[in-house]
Amino acid sequence: MTSQEKLCSFEENISPHLKSAYNLAKWMTHSHEDAEDVVQEAFLRAFAAFETFRGEQGKAWLLAIVRNTALTLLKRKYNSTDMAHIEETSEDPIEPSPDPEESVIISRDREHVRHALQQLPSDFREAVILREMEGLSYKEIASTIGVPIGTVMSRLSRGRDWLTRILSNPVSSVKEEPV
Amino acid sequence: MNCNDSRIYLAAYFDDELDVGQSLRVHQHLAACPDCRHVQREQLVLRSALRDSALYAHPSAEFSTRIEAAVRRAARIEVRPRRASWFGSFRFDSLRWSLAVAALLAITTIGSFLIINGLRPSHEQIISTAVLESHIRSLQPGHLIDVPSSDRHTVKPWFQGKLDFSPPVPDLSELGWTLIGGRLDYVDGRPVAALVYQRRKHEINVFLWPSRNSTLSGSVKQENAQGYQILHWNGAETTYWVASDLNNAELLDFARALRGH
Repeated sequence: MTSQEKLCSFEENISPHLKSAYNLAKWMTHSHEDAEDVVQEAFLRAFAAFETFRGEQGKAWLLAIVRNTALTLLKRKYNSTDMAHIEETSEDPIEPSPDPEESVIISRDREHVRHALQQLPSDFREAVILREMEGLSYKEIASTIGVPIGTVMSRLSRGRDWLTRILSNPVSSVKEEPV
Repeated sequence: MNCNDSRIYLAAYFDDELDVGQSLRVHQHLAACPDCRHVQREQLVLRSALRDSALYAHPSAEFSTRIEAAVRRAARIEVRPRRASWFGSFRFDSLRWSLAVAALLAITTIGSFLIINGLRPSHEQIISTAVLESHIRSLQPGHLIDVPSSDRHTVKPWFQGKLDFSPPVPDLSELGWTLIGGRLDYVDGRPVAALVYQRRKHEINVFLWPSRNSTLSGSVKQENAQGYQILHWNGAETTYWVASDLNNAELLDFARALRGH
């Protein structure tokens, strides 16, 4: 592959997913500037590693790099205490008590949803974002995150339950906001 | 399938990631369980909420342009080492090129040599041409004879001191070939004897010189060039070239007379 062919193939297969890359980076870093830094670095990494791209799942391939880049940035940016927070999300988050009978209606208020998503532990959040916003299959999510499909299924299930319970009781979950 | 099992699979069911069997079991449970149907409705609402495009973080157009430029810059930077390696490979290839050129040159040289040799007239052809030219030149006024004589005893001695050999000068007058004289000529890089015979105003030049290969006594070779007949044969000791505008049959007759002498 000549360098011109590589660039053409990259711009055809990877560049269209810039939007997804930025969205994931933004949701992971909660910062516009960090998201841009992550995406730019991820794109350069992706271009450098483009020989390893096998022509399938360009979006999942790119998002895996974006995710790793974002995690690297977060590790660099925050101290070990914050890292503990990032890593502890593999454990069960403190979930609102399940009570389906009472949570008849969940809030669809955009800011409530945004806040709930921001509160969601990162492992669950990234699974939810990759599924609901990016429309990746379980298999693609598994390859992006680097976990088995069963784990993807589990994280999605628990992430949704978590969001549902938060949004069913928006007042308690958005307590820092003035009501 | 109970509610706990159902909840585990509900998300995957919702995402259409279950196989047919699992999907059917969840479906059957949902049909029978209002609580799980409630959860499913919640998830539908949640999905709808999460797919709100306003929640999607969109990069700015300016950022997209910047990334595109950054990638292209990276592509150009990548080109440089490649170009260097291209030069490297070119140097490597230059060796191959040299070999290829050398091979081509060798082929060309050998080929040219063969072609030139092929095109180059053979030794006999050169002599034949010289003989013909000499014959034609001899027909120019004043060029035919150095020693005009029909007497072989006059002609033969005339060559002494002029040639490094003593040419046979046969008298063929009885056979109808009149000797009219002799002259010195120069053929095949050496002075040769030219005997001039005549029949019915047709001059016959006989060029002769010692054979290089004295053992070879070949048959008569004939050639027709520019309206002249040229005969050639190697005698036991003498090489003969005969040129004339006589017809072929008569000239062959002359050759037989000369050889038989």
